[in-house]
Amino acid sequence: MHEENGQQNISHDSTSSQEDVSQVEKERDEYLEGWKRAKADFLNYKKKEEERVSHMVKFSNEQIIKDMLHVLDSFDLALETLKDEAIKKGVFLIRTQLEDALKKHGLEKVMISEGQEFDPSVHEAIASIPSQKPPGAIVDEVERGYMLHGKLIRPARVKVSKGNE
Amino acid sequence: MAKILGIDLGTTNSAMAIIEGGDPQVLENTEGNRTTPSVVALNKSGERLVGLLAKRQAVVNPQNTISSVKRFIGRKFSEEEVGTDKKNLPFEIRESASGGVEVKMGEKWHKPEEISAMVLAKMKADAEAKTGETIEEAVITVPAYFDDSQRQATKNAGEIAGLKVRRIINEPTAAALAYGLNKKKEEKIVVYDFGGGTFDVSVLEVGDDVVEVKATGGDTHLGGDDLDARIIEFLLEEYKKAEGVDISKDPLALQRLREAAEKAKHELSTTQETEINLPYITSGDSGPKHFVMKLTRAKLESLVDDLVSESIEHTQQVIQDAGLKIEDIDEVILVGGQTRMPAIQEAVKKLFGKEAHKGINPDEVVAIGAAVQAGIFQGDVKDVTLVDVIPLTLGIETLGGVYTPMIEKNTAIPTSQSQTFSTAADNQTSVEIHILQGERSMAVDNKSLGRFILDGIPPSPRGVPQIEVKFDINSNGILEVSAHDKASGKKQSVRIEATTQLSKDEVEKLKKEAEVHAEEDKKKKRLVEVRNQAEQLIYSAEKNLKDWGEKIDDNTKKEVTEKKEALSKTLGETDPETIERAAQELSGVLQKIGQEMYDKEQASQKENETPQEEQKDADNTKEEDK
Repeated sequence: MHEENGQQNISHDSTSSQEDVSQVEKERDEYLEGWKRAKADFLNYKKKEEERVSHMVKFSNEQIIKDMLHVLDSFDLALETLKDEAIKKGVFLIRTQLEDALKKHGLEKVMISEGQEFDPSVHEAIASIPSQKPPGAIVDEVERGYMLHGKLIRPARVKVSKGNE
Repeated sequence: MAKILGIDLGTTNSAMAIIEGGDPQVLENTEGNRTTPSVVALNKSGERLVGLLAKRQAVVNPQNTISSVKRFIGRKFSEEEVGTDKKNLPFEIRESASGGVEVKMGEKWHKPEEISAMVLAKMKADAEAKTGETIEEAVITVPAYFDDSQRQATKNAGEIAGLKVRRIINEPTAAALAYGLNKKKEEKIVVYDFGGGTFDVSVLEVGDDVVEVKATGGDTHLGGDDLDARIIEFLLEEYKKAEGVDISKDPLALQRLREAAEKAKHELSTTQETEINLPYITSGDSGPKHFVMKLTRAKLESLVDDLVSESIEHTQQVIQDAGLKIEDIDEVILVGGQTRMPAIQEAVKKLFGKEAHKGINPDEVVAIGAAVQAGIFQGDVKDVTLVDVIPLTLGIETLGGVYTPMIEKNTAIPTSQSQTFSTAADNQTSVEIHILQGERSMAVDNKSLGRFILDGIPPSPRGVPQIEVKFDINSNGILEVSAHDKASGKKQSVRIEATTQLSKDEVEKLKKEAEVHAEEDKKKKRLVEVRNQAEQLIYSAEKNLKDWGEKIDDNTKKEVTEKKEALSKTLGETDPETIERAAQELSGVLQKIGQEMYDKEQASQKENETPQEEQKDADNTKEEDK
C-alpha cells in the first residue's frame, strides 16, 4: 500500500514536472522568437533609418529650391521681354549666378531638344495647339523643368502640337 | 506574414498606408509623393499611364484621360447624379448592357471598376517597391453613403488589381480609427470631411469596438477646388480693374495664377496677409505687366464665407437626421486638406462648442485609418515580451544639490547607462551616491530611492578621480546602481526594487508637479550651476597663484587676488547674473596669467633654438626685442 502510494506520487510528480518542462520550453521558444524578431526589426529599422538620413541630406533643400524656381522663371520671363541689351546682359548674368548656385546643390535643367516628343514623365502639357510639327511633338517650352539629384521636382511646361489642322 | 495595405481610394487623389513597427505609416509612390491622382490615361502609342503622369498629359489627350471615375462606380446610368456629372466630361460614357456606366478610353469601353483597378494596381506595385514585400491584401475605404452596389464594385476593383479585399470600410470610420476612437464606449462622433472636390459629413456611434454610421450628408460638388476658383475669379477681376488686362485667356498666366492662388490659400492658414507676386505675368501694348497683389485672410474668408456656412448647414442637417442634438456629440474629427483653414476650424468649434481632433494630417487620416484596420486583421506581432518603460527619470544628486538624470523617463527597459563623475574637493576620499527619481531640477524636490558611500578613493586634487556611476535596470524593473573608482578599482553598489511600482496617479502627479515648477527649478538650477562654476574658478585662481606665483608680475597678482575676493563675496547672492559678472572679470584676468606664461614660455623656447635652423625666426625675435 505504502509503496503503491509512493509510486503513484512519483509518477504524478513526473507528469506534472514534464508538463512544467514543456510549458517552460514553449515559453522559451516564444521568447526566443520574440527576441529574434525584435532584433530583426531593429536591424531593419537601422537600415531604413540610414536610407532615410541619406535621402534627407540630399533632399532637405528640395522645398527651398522649389521656391527658388519661381525666381528663375521670373528671370526667364524678364529676359524674353527686355529690350535694352545692356540691362538684358546684366539680368542674364544674375540669372546664371542663381542657377549656378542651385546647380551646386544638385539642380539640373530638363533639356528639351528641337522637335522632341512630349513625355509626361518629365513634361506637363498646358496646351495643345495646331502646328507644322508632327502631332505629339513639343512646340514651345513655356516654363523650364528641373531635376534635383535625378528626381523630377518640376516638369517642364510645354505646348504640344496637335498637327496641321 | 504578408502585410495588408490600407488604401484611401479618393475621387481626385488616393493615398495608402501600412503598419510598420506597430504604427501606421503613409507610403510614398514611385514619384515620391504621398498622394496619387486618381487619373488613368491611354496615350497615342497605346501605353497606359496612371497618376501624376496621366494628369500631366490630360491637356493633349483629354478624351482618353479618365478622372473622377469614383463618381460613376457601381452606379446605374439612369441615376440622376450620373446625368449631372456627364455634362462636363471630356471623355465619353455610355450605358452598359447591364444598365451600369461604361467609360471610353482608347478604342475600348471600360467599367468604372476597371479604371479604379488601374489606380489600385499602381498603388499595389508602388507599395511593393517601397516595402520590398509582396502585397496581396488590402482594406479600401469608401464614402459612408455608398450603397451595396457601389461597395461591391469597389471591392471588385480591388480584386481586378490583384488584391484580396479584406474589408471595405467607411471613410469616416477610418478617420475615427486613426484617432483610436473605436476604443471609446458609447460615443457619438461627427466626421467633417472637406476634401478637394467633395464635402461629406457623417455621424458615427461607437461602442464595444463597433462603429455604426447613424447618418450621412454633404455635397458631392463642394470642395477646396471651389474655394480656389473663388480666389482666382477675384484676382482676375481685380487685375482687370487695375490694369485693364484680362489674363484669363493666357494658359500659362492662368496656370501661374492658379498655383499662386493655391499657395496663397495655404499661407493664409498661418499668416494674416500674403502677397501674390508674379513678375511678367503678361505683356501689353505698353510693355510687360506684373501681377502684384496683397491678399488678407479676412478677404479670403469673405470670398468663401457662404461656402463655409453651407458646410455648417449640412452638418446641422445630418445631426438632425441622426435624431440627435448638437449637445449629444462627444467628438468631432476634421478630415480633408481644406480643414486646415482657420475659418473652417472656427466655424466647427463654434457649432459644437469644442475643439475638433486635427492632429493627424487631414489629407492622410483616412488612409491611416485603413491601415489601422489592416493592422487589426494582421493581428500584428503577438506581444510575447511586453516592452515596459520607466515612468519617471532616474538620476543622482551632484554638487550643489543639483539633480543629474541618468536614465530619462519613458526609456524602454532593460537598459543601462553610465556616466563618469569626479570629486568636489581636494583630497576627498569618499563620495556619496544619492539615487533619486523624478523630473525636478533640484535633488531635494525628487523622491529619494536610496544612498550609499564609496570610500577609499586615493587623495588627489578635486576633479581628478574618475568615478563611474552605472544605472542598470533589468526587465523586472529592478535597479542596480554601482559606483566604481577607476584609480583604486574600489566598487560599491546597491539594488533598489520597485522603481516602477508607482501608481499611475502618482506618476501623473509627479509629472504635473515638474511641469508647474519647471521655470522656478530652472532658475534654481542655474544659480547652483553658476555658483559651482564660480567656485571652480576661484579654486583655479588660487591654484594658479600658488603654482606660478613667482613668475607672474605683481600687478597681475594683485588684480587676480582682488577679483577673486570680489567673486567670493558674490557667492551668497541669489541673482545668477551678479555672480556671473564677477566670474567673467576674474576669468578675464586669469587669461592674462595664461598669456603671460605662454609668452614667457615661447620667448624662452626661441632663445634655446639653434640660430642655424631657424635663422629667420630668430632674426625676427631679435628685432622684436629691440
